[in-house]
Amino acid sequence: MKGPTPRYSALALLRARFKGAGFWMPLWTGRTLKDGYDVVVVGAGGHGLATAFHLVRDHGLKVAVLERRLVGYGNVGRNTTIVRSNYLLPENHYFYEDSLRRWETLSRDLNYNVMYSPRGVVDICLSDGDMIDAARRGNAMRLAGIDSDLMEIDALERFAPELAPRRTRRFPIVGALVQRRGGTVRHDAVAWGYARAATALGTDIIENCDVQGLRTEAGVVTGVETSQGFVRANRVLFATAGHTGMVGKMIGVPLPIETHLLQAMVTEPIKPLINSVLVYVHPGHGETYILQSDRGGVVMGGHLDGFPSYTREGQWHRMEDVVQGAVELLPQVGGLKILRQWAGTNDMTMDGSPIMDRVKYDNVFINAGWCYGGFKTIPASGAACAKLVATGEAADIARGFRLSRFATGHLLDERGGGPFPVRL
Amino acid sequence: MSRLICPFCGPRELREFEFHKTLPNAGESPFERVYLRVDSLTLSVEHWQHVQGCRAWLQIERNPSTGEVLMTRLARSGEAP
Amino acid sequence: MSARRKGTRLSADTLRFSFDGRTFTAQVGDTAASALLAAGVKAMGRSVKYRRLRGVMTAGPEEPNALLTVGAAPANIPNVPATQLKLSDGMVLQTQNRWPSLRFDLTALLQLGSAYFGAGFYYKTFILPKWRFWEGMIRRLAGLGNAPGRSDLPAPSLEHTHCDVLVAGAGPAGLAAALAAARNGARVVLAEREPAVGGELEFETAKIEGRSAGEWTCAALGELTRLGARVLTDTTLVGGSTGEMVLHTETAGMPGPARLIKIRPTALVIATGAVERMIAFTDNDRPGVYLLGAAERYLARYGVAVGQRLVLFANHDRVYLAAARLAAGGMTIAAILDTRVSGAQSDAARSAAAELTARGTACLAGHAVIAARGRRAVSAAVVAPVADPARMQSLACDAILVSGGWGPVIHAALQEGGTKRFDETLSAFVATDASDWRVTAGSANGAISLAAALKEGVNAGVAAAARAQRRGPMAAVPAASGDPEPHLQAYWRTPSDERAEKTQFVDPQNDVTVADLRSTLAEGFIDIEHVKRYTALGFGTDQAKFGGQLGAAIVAQLRGEPVPAVGTSRLRPPYHPVTLRSLAGHRVGAHLRPARVTPLHDWHLAQGAEMEAMGLWMRPRYYRANGSNATDAGIIEAGRVRTKGGIVDGSTLGKIEVAGPDAAAFLDAMYLSKASTIKVGRSKYMVNLREDGMVLDDGIVLRLSEERFLATVSTGHTDHMVSHFEHYRETEWASARLTLTDVTDAWAVIVVAGPESRAVLASLLGAQWQESLARLRHMDFATGLHDGHDLTVLRASFSGELAFELHCRPLIAKGLWEALVGAGLAPYGLEALDILRLEKGYLVSSELNGQTTPFDLGLDGLVALGNPCVGRDLLDRPAFREPHRPRLVGLRASDGKSRFLGGAQLTEDAVSAVPVGYVTSTAYSPALGEWIGLAFVSRAVPEGATLHVRDPLRGDNTTVKVVSPVHYDPKSDRMKS
Repeated sequence: MKGPTPRYSALALLRARFKGAGFWMPLWTGRTLKDGYDVVVVGAGGHGLATAFHLVRDHGLKVAVLERRLVGYGNVGRNTTIVRSNYLLPENHYFYEDSLRRWETLSRDLNYNVMYSPRGVVDICLSDGDMIDAARRGNAMRLAGIDSDLMEIDALERFAPELAPRRTRRFPIVGALVQRRGGTVRHDAVAWGYARAATALGTDIIENCDVQGLRTEAGVVTGVETSQGFVRANRVLFATAGHTGMVGKMIGVPLPIETHLLQAMVTEPIKPLINSVLVYVHPGHGETYILQSDRGGVVMGGHLDGFPSYTREGQWHRMEDVVQGAVELLPQVGGLKILRQWAGTNDMTMDGSPIMDRVKYDNVFINAGWCYGGFKTIPASGAACAKLVATGEAADIARGFRLSRFATGHLLDERGGGPFPVRL
Repeated sequence: MSRLICPFCGPRELREFEFHKTLPNAGESPFERVYLRVDSLTLSVEHWQHVQGCRAWLQIERNPSTGEVLMTRLARSGEAP
Repeated sequence: MSARRKGTRLSADTLRFSFDGRTFTAQVGDTAASALLAAGVKAMGRSVKYRRLRGVMTAGPEEPNALLTVGAAPANIPNVPATQLKLSDGMVLQTQNRWPSLRFDLTALLQLGSAYFGAGFYYKTFILPKWRFWEGMIRRLAGLGNAPGRSDLPAPSLEHTHCDVLVAGAGPAGLAAALAAARNGARVVLAEREPAVGGELEFETAKIEGRSAGEWTCAALGELTRLGARVLTDTTLVGGSTGEMVLHTETAGMPGPARLIKIRPTALVIATGAVERMIAFTDNDRPGVYLLGAAERYLARYGVAVGQRLVLFANHDRVYLAAARLAAGGMTIAAILDTRVSGAQSDAARSAAAELTARGTACLAGHAVIAARGRRAVSAAVVAPVADPARMQSLACDAILVSGGWGPVIHAALQEGGTKRFDETLSAFVATDASDWRVTAGSANGAISLAAALKEGVNAGVAAAARAQRRGPMAAVPAASGDPEPHLQAYWRTPSDERAEKTQFVDPQNDVTVADLRSTLAEGFIDIEHVKRYTALGFGTDQAKFGGQLGAAIVAQLRGEPVPAVGTSRLRPPYHPVTLRSLAGHRVGAHLRPARVTPLHDWHLAQGAEMEAMGLWMRPRYYRANGSNATDAGIIEAGRVRTKGGIVDGSTLGKIEVAGPDAAAFLDAMYLSKASTIKVGRSKYMVNLREDGMVLDDGIVLRLSEERFLATVSTGHTDHMVSHFEHYRETEWASARLTLTDVTDAWAVIVVAGPESRAVLASLLGAQWQESLARLRHMDFATGLHDGHDLTVLRASFSGELAFELHCRPLIAKGLWEALVGAGLAPYGLEALDILRLEKGYLVSSELNGQTTPFDLGLDGLVALGNPCVGRDLLDRPAFREPHRPRLVGLRASDGKSRFLGGAQLTEDAVSAVPVGYVTSTAYSPALGEWIGLAFVSRAVPEGATLHVRDPLRGDNTTVKVVSPVHYDPKSDRMKS
């Protein structure tokens, strides 16, 4: 495979120093649409770009990625950068684990530093009941060959001393389920790295190109109508998280998806304080996850805002909820300041798990409904979705993500929350 | 959008209310009612409860792209009390 | 007084503070920046990436460089802008981003690599061997101040309030707006970020209504107070949404005692002013380069001269007036570089220039600063004609004051659908006021001159008051004179060769340079949002206030497009940084969530109960008299229930009273089996389904009378179940005659269980209960009075023993409880409760986890009744009948003694990776003398099969036998005795 040029390395930085301007090339360029493609991918977010990359690299297809706005402007650049595979259900944990393994080598595979940081994801337990639930999940992971540790208070104190687990709290900490290989990845880098790698393989990435409809002949889709004209496509993939409901509307298929806001926020940078990802769910609808970015900012998130929304403007009182959890968990951060709060639009399905399937037409596919898990699955989703689109056959690890499961009852309800995106 | 107007209590903080679900079109099957959503950028018809107030169930129409509340009434009827 | 003090409005009292270990004297009222400048200290920090030595550049929150750590570890507070920080006696300050000291910083060696560390270099390297290898070092180099180890901040005070008109910003426009609104009768709140009102009026020499700006400000403040307006200083509008705005007060400019005000104004006037813009020239980040307005503020408020010999660099007329004021303050103006060619200046500017020239200032039109000279501090400015940059000359100076125009602070106006437009006269973005409840005025709206700002302020105040139905005749605009329009011509950076662009700083905190912007564009990051993310432009503590507009304009220049075509990156809330402690409010520590307690709570505590949180409820887990830990005590307590008897506080049980002619029909629809077949005085165990067919909850439903039922629901599900019932009552059952009442707190519940329970109750409740107690069959109940209060006695059991639930009024709960204890029944806690229910195979949330169907729980019989209840339709989905669906079973260790734990997975052999089930809960059964458990196991696994308990997390590996979930007394003889 011909890699992107010039290849990135420390040596290349040296050479660039002396070659001056013009050494580095655009990672992708806004090329004009060709007449037709094997596959048109709608949405240049993490999933669309990764799928495009694998469609070209693994299946040798001619691909265009059409993006209404900008590469990586949606959720891939708005999440809290957490990657993990600590899921309960086999349909989920094998898939997320496939993704985590790909994260481990992705920087090399893309020749782009996505800064995979396996610093550990700590799910804090507040009762013996929590510990049993955690054990159920952790043991399921271990049987599947996925790393997981159940830590009681001593071990947790050693692993995350900043947490001071013995500190008196309204809800005392009992222990935690820890996945050491879980951690963070630099979110924007993922979009850019895939865009660059896909471009190098000949993929066209067209920004500011709005897809307005599908053209069909005799029940088969022949291409897409866009703001830049019609483009032929043998197959079409929608990877438009946050607006999948709109896709359903466009093609006339109601989907089991609602769009909800999830907000995140960050403080000013400080020297290292928090060395893992801490997840704190407490009674009374409390949820805060908290980590420190490599830049030094303390990044936090929590529950959905709580009702369908496309505004991308999070509710102030939700920010307060998240911060309350943070200050309770780590009182030492009380003097830090929130610099910035933002929100993403999440595809929330009615069982909390994703959908990767054909929809309505034999040659139209959706990659959607990732709920809170979209970012961390990008590498696995790219490979699995490319297989589905290229061959028509679902990848083994993605067989559970059928759209039909809601009708058949093969639900993937990790939390037992039922058919409601918001179940506080 | 920082308040909703409860037909009983008047304008109240959003945090007093809880969103329950978006409503389907009438006459759909139980499966469709429970699982499928008619998505729209401009209109979302929803059930909310004034859970930390009078506990009324409300039917609310909102524009999910702006947050603007277009209509609020009791879920039980078209009439305000 | 220091030589750099030129007289001051500050108090003459002094205080002492330390800065990097040296002790300094300051005047009361000084900021760290003003005191250090007065002491001649220029270097106040180093940049993050290149570790370049930096001084303070601004006098406001937009300060990119001079961020200090206040206090000593572990309670240090990092990243406080020196420009905001009000000193107090004994304060300990430290610079950041240097090691070992600011002056001799070894990490400054990073500067040597600056040629390689362009924008995004870290995406191109550190790939091998892996990021984790480099990450620790990079994390330590990144960040700003040291992480605090502790925070001693007190809780903020919180206030919710209303007003007619909220005015954010008390500069000329804000004061005028507040005054106009108040004169028209509006209730006004005026919030000002600084410790005093006035804004730029502080150093304004123009006259307002014939008075000096200072006098006018005092008069305005006095009148506002008389009119009842509330003036809040040190208070910043930090966020909000339509209707509710959030004000944050932080005294002394740093985290400390704070106040958060949530205010609902009918109308909002945004008069938040404008932030002066830097111009990019070579080494424009050196200590000694200041924004022009900052120098004016230091002089006017603190009496501090930022330099003795100044070079001023600007692209508008106001630089001449500023120069005159600075000269009047005793500073020498060496030169004024005006990027505009001669002739662009107004008459006023020309006459001011003439006066300055007469006093020795070189007024150079069509000139620009090419570079700053001096390594640790500015020693000269290299200047040249814009048209002929090769004709350089060096002007000795100790400060370069820059003004590239102003960027209106439009953050608040852009929230919730506000849009911006480009104002050509100011070369800046202003907000388009789309909404009718907020209006922007003054320099925040691009009205820079005093007269314009006052006019806009008055108009805004009148409009805002009118929206609040306060209409009056008062719309007079105070006349101002002597403050001309700026006649600005856009000038963003001094052209230079590409090498020099590497030290033309756009956003100094993150070391974003013109070279970075150029290379970022070359790498294909064209859109300003991409540029922001790739370079970190605007990501600093000032959130793009300092360099955001400048960066966007230079991107436009490099792209060869007009500035509006590029726009600026989206601003995010909050409008101003807010401390976490303030945001958390009172809801931390013990107040994170309210604790719900039962009427017997104090008794439990007094009797040595170990309490446990169950949701928000506090419940006794065990009593310490029975053992030092939950397991030991639980075994004792549970054993005693079976041999003799015991009592448990069940008050947390959810109770919903359903009444009305349609109550029975309603409950029929809510439950898998029918309530309408329950006879009055009887009760029934019932199960709810969720809409998708999964089991939602279970409980006992009592028929109190023909039209009255009491439905009991799980403690943890009560809130949800009440809402669930209410939802159906208000929608599908809206026309039914039916009321629902949550009576959870109206009834305390004492469960009396064990072989002696009936006898003890009979003796305790007295003669009038004898007959009922004797008559009650399993699931019967009786109602009556005890001690003059309502009492219901339900014969039902969650332990498998003969047992009675006493539903009594909270008032008599303690008396009843103590009498029972006195009669020899010892209390037991949750641990024993769990053992007892496990022995009987009863369900709790471990089994009712939202993932199980009634079939999984062995409730096929209930489904077969065919009651068309909520959730029934979706139970017919094929997956729910498949052979691998789980089924509730019991487990016993194969060897009759090994321990196994809830959460273990179950496999058919010792190595399989495919579980056939999992253990939901286990306990040591004192009745059986061994460990028992409940589990969900695939239906394909028959009773009697042996399974492997796989618990790698805790290392317990054993085998178990699948048995009936009812471990103890399978025929329930004891319960029915």
